[in-house]
Amino acid sequence: MSRDNRSWHRAGVGALAAVSLVALPSCSGEASGEAEGSATSGDITWWGWTPDKPLADSLIESFNEEYPDIEVEFVSKPISGYDAVLSPAITSSDGPDVFNVAPGSANGGVDTFEAGAIDLRDAVSEELGDDWEDQLATAGVEGLTVDDKVVGLSAGSVYSGSLWINQDIFDEYGLEPPTTMDEWKQVCETLEAEGQGCFVQGAGNGAFDMDTFEAIMENIEPGLYARASTGDASYTSPEFVEGMEIWKSLFDEGIMQDGAVGLQQYPEANNAFMSGDYAMVMMGTWYTQYTVRDTMVGAMEAAGVSDPEPFTMVPIDFPDVAGTGNTGNYFGDADYGLAVNGQSDQQAAATTFALWLTTSEAGQQAVANTLNDIPSLTGIQPEWDDIELVEPEAQLEALQDLTARAAESTEPRFATIDAALNDAFQEVLIGVARGQTSPEDGLATLQAVSDEE
Amino acid sequence: MRSSDEAIIVGGRSNLPVAASRSTIDSADEDATIIPPPLRKRRAGRTNGKGRNLYGSGLPWILPALVLVIGMIYFSIGYTGWMSMLDWSGFILSPSEFVGPENYARMVQDEVFWRAMWHTAIFFVVTFTVQTAISFTFAAIMHSQIHLATVYKVVIFVPNVLAPAIMAPVFRVIFDANGSLNGVLETMGLGSLARPWLAEDFTAMAVVMLVTIWQWTGLSFILFYAAMSQIDPQILEAARIDGAGNLRTLWSIIWPLCRGTTIALATLGVIGSLKTFDVPWLIANGGPNHATEFLGTYIYQTMVEQKEFGYAAAISVALLVLAIVGGLLTRLGNRQSEGT
Repeated sequence: MSRDNRSWHRAGVGALAAVSLVALPSCSGEASGEAEGSATSGDITWWGWTPDKPLADSLIESFNEEYPDIEVEFVSKPISGYDAVLSPAITSSDGPDVFNVAPGSANGGVDTFEAGAIDLRDAVSEELGDDWEDQLATAGVEGLTVDDKVVGLSAGSVYSGSLWINQDIFDEYGLEPPTTMDEWKQVCETLEAEGQGCFVQGAGNGAFDMDTFEAIMENIEPGLYARASTGDASYTSPEFVEGMEIWKSLFDEGIMQDGAVGLQQYPEANNAFMSGDYAMVMMGTWYTQYTVRDTMVGAMEAAGVSDPEPFTMVPIDFPDVAGTGNTGNYFGDADYGLAVNGQSDQQAAATTFALWLTTSEAGQQAVANTLNDIPSLTGIQPEWDDIELVEPEAQLEALQDLTARAAESTEPRFATIDAALNDAFQEVLIGVARGQTSPEDGLATLQAVSDEE
Repeated sequence: MRSSDEAIIVGGRSNLPVAASRSTIDSADEDATIIPPPLRKRRAGRTNGKGRNLYGSGLPWILPALVLVIGMIYFSIGYTGWMSMLDWSGFILSPSEFVGPENYARMVQDEVFWRAMWHTAIFFVVTFTVQTAISFTFAAIMHSQIHLATVYKVVIFVPNVLAPAIMAPVFRVIFDANGSLNGVLETMGLGSLARPWLAEDFTAMAVVMLVTIWQWTGLSFILFYAAMSQIDPQILEAARIDGAGNLRTLWSIIWPLCRGTTIALATLGVIGSLKTFDVPWLIANGGPNHATEFLGTYIYQTMVEQKEFGYAAAISVALLVLAIVGGLLTRLGNRQSEGT
């Protein structure tokens, strides 16, 4: 190597090292807990993947009735690219003051963004008192806390475990909602014979497969699924084998539609249900918003229905597929929590907004009325009298029952499932459904992944 | 000493200056390789007769490009290599842990990684073969006297300018279990052939390949068409005089003369297959259960969905190495075949 070449080599390595030092992940981690700026005035930005912009604007409008001097701008970011845009943003001076976080390691997960947020424990304790945890839904508190640091405060939670049916289709064919596996099969046989799709699921989407499987497990033994996810029970137990066999039977017995594993839950399964091609779908409490006439019209139009006529959509309990009688169980997580950016120069105003939306009665009532989330603050119910349902007589009681029971649930949905286990679940559930993996082998895989944690 | 304007024709009979031998190269000596003479020492540069360098050092001229290339590309590669030895979520404020070659060891044992590699290989073989066959044949046909040739050219090239993101929903509708294709099959009385195309391993991969072939055949066609336009008509005329028919001319004359284009397309195909992401991701989501998983889709899932930046970086490094090796192998194959 010539002398010149050696010089260039040294210069190149030096440049690389210099830039690396700037760009390498830092180990700083802990953001300041001291709130900066004024708590009653300011100009803050809120980033999130949910709620939809119009809903967010209505929440901000309600907030400004109480805090007119804090201007909040909501910036909607797609969930799929949320982490990619948020990561650099919250380390810069131009990032959001408040940002959405989710439980676990999902997009926007607190496991990832904990280091960029301030600890809200003192603020929420000051707002609600020392028993603040008792006043908020369990799903919202545990899922957004990392090592005792309250990274985010839940605006509301979503729960799964229910089926939604198109009551108009059931009425048309004189059918009753299924309550057992046999009834479910019978309903599907009848509808298929009439050329009407029965149950639709985007089984190519692992998250919703996990919902259905957890619903089956909740039917077999409530709480076992959650205990296994925390290592307190084994995935290879006979109960899980039974659950996996029931899961497979949904595909083999003609309940799941043909080609289910080639379909995504959104938009395909959702659109198929909204357009009336199918009579049943596995969705959670977030579907409540579509019981409202205007929202349903919008959803049907988005599904490609021209000149849509809203139908009567009703939640029903997941059928007693194992014959245990354990039905009506729900499991959920915080839909989104609000975190305050540790780099923000308006942390006080941002904290005011976060606390108002997630812990005040006014803020939580506004959240409840969107029907997108079950409020985090206990005792808050949607103001049903002001909500125009498609068919109140058929829907209201079922919806009230759903929201009340879901709010009492303490079972997690994804909060205790880390990324590796989530990925393994997706592979195993689809593999078992297609007959490529036996229930026993699939469960052994899950246990192996769990043991590695 | 040979001047810089001279060249040696290796493998042929000529040893003439380039200008004089051009027609010979284009016709009889297509297999020949042109090797430039040794470059004179650049340090001498062009002088004004008094020994002063009129151009000065070349460094200032290439510095902007050098900074850009080193800063944007080689630094990124180096940084990816460094990341591949970390256990890191990808969030800049999150701590990272140096794990050395652990991510590479994991990769070697990862069944999904090898499935993605296998998919890449079979994907390249099938798509390259089919695309080449269709586009070569189509280009040859377009060189004959046919009506509406321009229309046909546009028809075959249009898919190339359509973004996969635009077409993916259409293909999902076509190949859905309740989609158009099955509807057509049912209508034609071929209902027994209907199936959930995107829900079965073999058919899902077949759909991904089909869409890729549909999209890229137009580009191959254009390149073959251009290569055929460069063939000296006298060669074809000579073949005719010697009694060669259409197929014989196509196989023994035109195909060998288009070998450079074929090799270039093969090189692009290897690299393109390694980088495949949009079609399998948008149409089949890498599924069902990794049945259409490629290195690109797996890197995305590992990095974005599973937040394992270190492991995703390790796979990225493997992809880079494979792309370089693949490109070199196709070049080497070309040189060896030229030497025979």
